Amino acid sequence: MKFTRSAKFALATAASAALAFTLLTPAQAATRSTVILHETNPITGLNCGLSATNSTTCSAVSYLQGAGFNYYNNKKELVKNTVFGSYKIVKNTATDFRTQWTVNPGRVWSDGTPITGEDLLLSHILSSDAYSKAAGLGDPTDKKTPPAFNGLGYSGVYANNIVGDPVLSADKMTVTLQFKKKIANWDLYGPGPSPVHTLVLMAEGKKALGTVAENEAARDRFVKAFRDKDTALLKKMGDIWSKDYTITTVNKDTNPLLLVGNGGFLIDNAVAKTSVTLKKNPKYNSGPALSGSVDTVVFKFIGDGTAAAQALANGELDVYAGQATADGVAKLKAIKNVNVVGKDEVAYEHWDLHYDTVPDEAPYTGLFSVKDGARSKALRQAFLLGIPRNEIMEKLIAPINGVTEPIRSTWLAPGSAAYDKLIAANGSAFYSRGTQESRNKSALALVQKFYPDVLKNPLKVRVLVPGNNPRRAAEFALAKANLAKIGFDLVGDVRTDWPSKLGNSDYDVYFFAWVASSVTQRQSAEVFDTDGGNNITGYSNKAVDAIIDTLDSPLPEPQLIAKYIQIERLTNADAVTIGVFIHPGVVAVNKDLKNVKPGPLSPTIVWNYWEWSY
Amino acid sequence: MARKSKASVESTEVLSGENAIQNKEIEGLSQGQIVRKRFFRHRAAVISLVTLIVIVIMAFTALDFRLFGIWRVPGWWRWTPEDLPELRFGDCPNDTVGCPTISFMPKFLGGHGIGLGRHPFGQDDIGRDFFALVMKGTQRSISVMVIIGSIGATLGVIVGSIAGFYRGRIDAILMRFVDFMITIPVIIIGSVIGYRYGNLGATFLALLLGLFAWTGLSRLVRGEFLSLREREFVDAARVAGATNKRIIFKHILPNAVGVIIVSVTLLLSGAILLETALSYIGFGVVPPDVSLGLLISQYQDSFTTRPWLFWYPGLFIISIALSINFIGDGLRDAFDPRQRRRISKKERQDSATAKKLAQAND
Amino acid sequence: MTAFILRRLGVLGVILFGSSFILYNIAAISGDPTADLRLSTDPNRDFLIASLTRELQLDVPPPLRYFLWLKGVLGIFVGNPNFGMGRDGSAVVDSLALALPVTLRLVAAATLLAAILGIMIGIVTALRQYSRFDYSMTFIAFLLFSLPVFWVAVLLKEYLAISFNNFLREPQIPMRWIIGIGLISGLFWASVIGGSRKTFWTAFAVAFAASSSLVAIFGATGWLLNPSLGPIVVLLLSIGIAFGVTQLSVGLINKAALRASLTMAGLSVVAYYPVNWVFDNYPGSLSIFLMACVLITTAVFIGLAFSKIDRAPIVRTTIITAILSASLVIVDKYMQTWKPYMQTDAINYRPVPTVGQRNDLLDSSDFWISSLDVITHLFLPTLALTLIGFAGYIRFARGTLLEVLNQDYIRTARAKGLSERTVIMRHAFRNTMIPMATILVADFAGVVGGAFITESVFAWSGMGTLALQGIRSQDLNLLMGVFFITATMAVLANFVADLLYSALDPRIRVGSGA
Repeated sequence: MKFTRSAKFALATAASAALAFTLLTPAQAATRSTVILHETNPITGLNCGLSATNSTTCSAVSYLQGAGFNYYNNKKELVKNTVFGSYKIVKNTATDFRTQWTVNPGRVWSDGTPITGEDLLLSHILSSDAYSKAAGLGDPTDKKTPPAFNGLGYSGVYANNIVGDPVLSADKMTVTLQFKKKIANWDLYGPGPSPVHTLVLMAEGKKALGTVAENEAARDRFVKAFRDKDTALLKKMGDIWSKDYTITTVNKDTNPLLLVGNGGFLIDNAVAKTSVTLKKNPKYNSGPALSGSVDTVVFKFIGDGTAAAQALANGELDVYAGQATADGVAKLKAIKNVNVVGKDEVAYEHWDLHYDTVPDEAPYTGLFSVKDGARSKALRQAFLLGIPRNEIMEKLIAPINGVTEPIRSTWLAPGSAAYDKLIAANGSAFYSRGTQESRNKSALALVQKFYPDVLKNPLKVRVLVPGNNPRRAAEFALAKANLAKIGFDLVGDVRTDWPSKLGNSDYDVYFFAWVASSVTQRQSAEVFDTDGGNNITGYSNKAVDAIIDTLDSPLPEPQLIAKYIQIERLTNADAVTIGVFIHPGVVAVNKDLKNVKPGPLSPTIVWNYWEWSY
Repeated sequence: MARKSKASVESTEVLSGENAIQNKEIEGLSQGQIVRKRFFRHRAAVISLVTLIVIVIMAFTALDFRLFGIWRVPGWWRWTPEDLPELRFGDCPNDTVGCPTISFMPKFLGGHGIGLGRHPFGQDDIGRDFFALVMKGTQRSISVMVIIGSIGATLGVIVGSIAGFYRGRIDAILMRFVDFMITIPVIIIGSVIGYRYGNLGATFLALLLGLFAWTGLSRLVRGEFLSLREREFVDAARVAGATNKRIIFKHILPNAVGVIIVSVTLLLSGAILLETALSYIGFGVVPPDVSLGLLISQYQDSFTTRPWLFWYPGLFIISIALSINFIGDGLRDAFDPRQRRRISKKERQDSATAKKLAQAND
Repeated sequence: MTAFILRRLGVLGVILFGSSFILYNIAAISGDPTADLRLSTDPNRDFLIASLTRELQLDVPPPLRYFLWLKGVLGIFVGNPNFGMGRDGSAVVDSLALALPVTLRLVAAATLLAAILGIMIGIVTALRQYSRFDYSMTFIAFLLFSLPVFWVAVLLKEYLAISFNNFLREPQIPMRWIIGIGLISGLFWASVIGGSRKTFWTAFAVAFAASSSLVAIFGATGWLLNPSLGPIVVLLLSIGIAFGVTQLSVGLINKAALRASLTMAGLSVVAYYPVNWVFDNYPGSLSIFLMACVLITTAVFIGLAFSKIDRAPIVRTTIITAILSASLVIVDKYMQTWKPYMQTDAINYRPVPTVGQRNDLLDSSDFWISSLDVITHLFLPTLALTLIGFAGYIRFARGTLLEVLNQDYIRTARAKGLSERTVIMRHAFRNTMIPMATILVADFAGVVGGAFITESVFAWSGMGTLALQGIRSQDLNLLMGVFFITATMAVLANFVADLLYSALDPRIRVGSGA
């Protein structure tokens, strides 16, 4: 052990002798030009149109790489990208509805090739079941074999209404689409540009960027194949499109043809499951001009929220985005040099009451079954009255974002004039007036009409409780406590596999959140339509169905709101569902980074990347 | 037997002063008495034992519980985890809510006086009493630990000793079975089970995890047995006509008990941490059920803002794990047949004086 | 023996088949990959569900689907294994190939460190049984063992990364730190050395003075921003190492060994400048490896040259000294790299990272900077795993050594009049290592699949992350791929441990009848 002591002595003396007593120049911060963004889930590929790669991260990355005709801003408005091109309705009758999409001249891909209307045609192949079948690329709905372009765009509104193939104008800059009827939100069903020449080149086995002339020739080959429905070439392109883009590592060996885009930033390198680095596109002219002080954008993937918050504090991130908890927000606010920005998610929490049997499920004969007529209706109303929405807001949501008002519509989010108009007339006042105490009183009266001694013999209500979620557990506890006061005894079944149990007749009540990833006229129609894909309560009301059918053709806003009011009046009177809150999110940004304005809809944080500056 | 023969060998040796003291101490005592005596001399182990007993009694009597699901036995604590009292508001530091009312600062020092108050550990977001939640969590965590630990220890010791003692075909079959169990990682099976059956409750999860937790111990015990069965005292016992059962239980097992106890205690504290880990990644105990692990993972963000939500459950996890390890340490030393304890200076002096006196008398 | 090994491997194959079949089916029935889609309000939701069903072959019942998976895996025998595609569209083999080295790097570093530290402390606690040192180390070990890893991670990041980086902006070490570090180190060394009250306090004073003045010098000279050892310190430390290693392995009595290792220590300093020249001009692992070969050959020759009888232990001592003092030169090289590393744009004077396995913005052309970057990223996760993992080693090492020390052959060795050093290092220590070796092997295999949470809180994309992703996204192929690797490693490790056990302990007969 002697050695240790002597060694320490030696170390001390030697260190003092050997080291020069020169103080270093103090650390200085370099001018920053890199933005490091946090994403929870890693990117799984560069083409987001596949089921394997579809994710919010992928959409964000590809938003930086490619500009199209429009984008969602932070107010959920669809903004036209007039730098890239323009679009309009050219024919508007009940049986012939045409839209026209024009690319502005002079726009270029990052390899210098000019962008034309021909680059818009691939969209059609990716969305039209009919084209895929006709061109011998496979039936997208086939149970065994996937189509050549194995995308997620098929069988939607576009495929169901498109007539024929898109028509290219003589100057090749404009594409016209024809639909068999008027399409609501037609501006969402337009074409997007894709560098088809790179697909052709890759299909021909090329591994390097071509010259502009070669690229244009390749594009002409595609257009010919598109017109002639040349299965051979298209199939090869489909293979490339479906398989070659599922890479998560990008480096010097990556085929540069995969990385061609027209956005402000292009992928420079990517490390699988770790990060994606994008560098400024010098040829970018397809969208608003870049502010100039940011030349690198990095997406860093950190799954653990606490870890990401600490990485932000340590300067390893510039933008943090995550699920919000009260403590998490407080902690972020305590970090120096960081601005905390509130953000709404697209998910809204709501409570559903089982109304009638859902197709393919055992018959529902529980407490709230519509077959019991007036009695079950009174119980449903009482139950919705008894959900302590204000208390839930105050205790669970307000500490995060300060919002204390529960939502009063499941069709529009708060914050617009339309919403105020909607809730004034949609019958939600019945569930919102007075205090919770007065609501409890009227609820109890409703219940006692049918069950006079309900306080002694409470009614058992079976609730499906989503497991693994502390906020929902707390929400359930609050609801259970208050509903006990009006004679309901909530029996929770906590399940981690709850999504597969939705609509199951073993439950009277469900509560969870729907995720609305776009703004369309139909909005929550799938939840209330008798045949709706999201109808898990078995709700069926012919009047509601009839109004929903009219939502398919474009309507001016006042008319649309009037329809929403009609629908919600009916559903509120039937007492099937009630909204509680919009899920709160949180974004924290390095103070030096300006103009980060996160929005709820994809591409959330990056929608205005060109405005970012240091 | 092993112990006795050992002692007699020692007594024929030229005894050092230390051995003399040691042997005098265990003269005429049964094995149980010796173990007890040695254990109680291990101060840290005794303190830990007391702590653990206090925690267990406190946690299991604090809350109401239903005997056979019918009779309600009232607990001594005023709240249950289901109660929703008013949230303490306004007089907490840094604009937080629901801070703890426990106070250690006497009034004359400017504090609130020593006392618990209404909510000694504070309240959670919706006002539930955090002491009640911590008590319920402690119940859960201790049950999980005991179930995993006892199943794991029993299976591990049985399989390991049979395999190690009998060797040959039995050993091969049992060890291949162990290999089979080892290939399925506990945390993956825990996640899969937790994901699917988290709603069946903590007890079920613990039972299943216990069935996977014994493999390491069994290999260790087998190793010990393989080594011990070749030792002279086993041959001696066999020559003396002892049955296999007797050799296993009376001769080999007491010699292996040190290793067993160390790894069982590690297994126990490992179990409580496994539960914590599973709850952290979301596959363990699922809200609204409560466990200590769930509480700290749920409130890990609170440690700067509302530290009490993090520290109290954390304190209980650490106290339980620490106590168990120290108890195990004490037991190990107490069971070890050849264990020698440090002879204090005073004893050594005493014995030296005694020797001198004896020589003088001669 | 060959037949025995082959038979065992065959049985392992059968075991893997059985457990993979069971796990596949458990995992398949325990989750619904389409659950997320059910919550979507997309108009073509049904199409999405149908296409996912087609992609994952969900319409095939799990037991049959298992055989489809197995068919791909069995391709391993024809050199073309196919673990299927993950839900993220990439081949599972590729994901595994990326993740395995990452995890191995983390786990190897942490397990080794935990084992070395744990065994060292365990031995000291056993030798000082029931001392204050024993009690406090036991307490600290148990305390660390009881802490959940995510909590340790949060604390380490808060203090060793964020606060330390902030501190580096103006590295003035405050007085209370100087005193505090001095006190801790004083107490530590004093209790390790133990002995009478006088020795205790002398040791305390010396260690206190040495460490606090060292810390003060570090602070005053800005050493933390531009650290280095320099040839003189390397020389002094090497001499210390030479003495220490000789003392521990053969005793200072053995003059030949001492001379050989002192020569070796001197040589490593003589080589200081040439070696640094090689480092600068031919950076890379290859040149380090070649120099290591040269070093060990030299050490062997020097050892042989100085010794006449009993050569093996002397050569061994010389080699150990050589390796240790040569690593000082490497440490010094890394210290010199520290300043340029901190000055890069990507690091910008915040050298301790909290997440990731390396900085992707860093230009990776400089070997020393990029390998230093790997080391800084390893720092916190390794520390966390080590802190938590070494408690077990302390306890096992302590227990085993205590057991061994009570064996008859130790008594015999003492009775022969061997020195305490020889008794402990030659007789006791080696026998303690037998069970430790087997534990180490099994532990290592266990951690590969078990570093879930560490990987997740430090955002490392290793096997644990993959497994978690597999479970969360109901990605059966991925989960089974991870399982296949971890399970194979686990059974192989146990097999190796068995062989080791019988190789190290001649009394154990393994393989008889099996």
